[in-house]
Amino acid sequence: MIVAKRKPFSEIKESVSGSKNILILGCGTCVAVCLAGGEKEVGILASQLKMALALEDLRANIDELTIERQCDREFIQEINNKVNVDDYDLILSTACGAGVQLVSDVFDHKVVLPALNTTFIGVAEGPGVWTERCRSCSDCILAETGGICPVTICAKGLLNGPCGGARHGKCEIDPERDCAWTLIYNRLNKIGRLDRMQRILPPKKYSADQYPARIVHEAYRRRYE
Amino acid sequence: MAESLEEALRSGKFLVTASIDAPKGTDLEDSLRLIDKLKGVVDALGVSDNPCAVMHMSPWAVCRLALEKGVEPIMHMTCRDRNRLALQSDLLAAASLGIKNILCVSGDHVKFGDHADAKPVHDIDSVHLLTAAKALAEGKDMAGKSLNGCPAFFLGATANTDADPLEPHLIKVDKKITAGASFLVTHPVFNIQHLKKFMEHVPRSKTKVLAGIRLLVPQDVPKYKDGGYPGLFVPDYTLEEIKGATMAQCVEMAGGLFRDIKSANLCDGVHVSAPGHEQMMLDLL
Repeated sequence: MIVAKRKPFSEIKESVSGSKNILILGCGTCVAVCLAGGEKEVGILASQLKMALALEDLRANIDELTIERQCDREFIQEINNKVNVDDYDLILSTACGAGVQLVSDVFDHKVVLPALNTTFIGVAEGPGVWTERCRSCSDCILAETGGICPVTICAKGLLNGPCGGARHGKCEIDPERDCAWTLIYNRLNKIGRLDRMQRILPPKKYSADQYPARIVHEAYRRRYE
Repeated sequence: MAESLEEALRSGKFLVTASIDAPKGTDLEDSLRLIDKLKGVVDALGVSDNPCAVMHMSPWAVCRLALEKGVEPIMHMTCRDRNRLALQSDLLAAASLGIKNILCVSGDHVKFGDHADAKPVHDIDSVHLLTAAKALAEGKDMAGKSLNGCPAFFLGATANTDADPLEPHLIKVDKKITAGASFLVTHPVFNIQHLKKFMEHVPRSKTKVLAGIRLLVPQDVPKYKDGGYPGLFVPDYTLEEIKGATMAQCVEMAGGLFRDIKSANLCDGVHVSAPGHEQMMLDLL
């Protein structure tokens, strides 16, 4: 899933200053799971903003709405069934960057601002802890590396083994962080595929990672191309 | 004209090499003085490439200076700061300046340097850089396009005898040798037993090894503590010894290690470094 974290409150407050009618728009998928932009977090942010404005004798109407997904036009259209966006001079989105952009596309006459910093594609390690696992490079090499991604986990994204800085199996940049290549070595050894590590992996094809990326499913090709 | 590093390593004699940093700025006076002093003392002189991710002049300029002074240069080249186009361009430029010896390294993380907000490039790794340099020497670039004039390179790579764990590191060293590393320069050695163990792994007929020797001085102790310096694993007992030592004693400690490695004929030579105290390298040697 996509993991994000809320921007510093001071930055959010500054970005909405001067607005009289604000809609805080939550997203019920990834950012809700990582406790950054779901219904609960929208409520907290709304209360915090109301209090901060009140303390400065400023007034603004702040409403809350959370939809299932902001990265899908179908769900965004549902907003029109619940509120009139023209009642607001600003939409503060607590979605990832993709969601903010699509809401901005759909309501292109409105000011749509981000309340989160989108951080990575990752997994939940436990309650309240997420770690990055994928850089969406479009050239997956997990089959060669025991299911552990050196492009993401290695601080240098090295493809052919560890740098000389790994110490006690930890990364040179952070003694709390595992060295990706120590993990890969141990995993390949465990699953009887250590021979994979002896192969020289070629340079990555960054041509596959051109952005902005676009995928049209085979079944829909005639419709879009 | 200086004997080439390749010839010197093939001769079978125990080599003394050293490395210096290019200036941070355009003043080459210190580099010139060092080159003059080290001429005749070292068989080759390495010039680091933004060492520890601290911005310096590109090493090719100092390597060219060394060549002009009759000192055989080894140009360090890190994959951290350039993509594959720039690395190949710089390899060709270095070759055009007469620089043959290239030490291919991944590079310390930018976090340790003076431009911590820089984007670490790492488009390719050191194994790829060796492969690319070898291909250039054979007349092709990484895209398979033919060159108009081929460089001649003598390629090296780094290894860490203290790598922990060692096994994955040795696999990488094997890949570097396969990719074209004719010589290996180790990270500074502090445990001679680790060097011995490492040498049991290296096919010496195929690849020569220069053991790293680092002059440690008391003021550097805090930065080397607890792995604070990338790739340098100085044992606590060594740091304790250094802490109260005079400069002469520091030089003696590094010199002692140099003599031990040489007398035991453990490898093919040494690569001495003393960042910030380069003048002391002569005493050490």
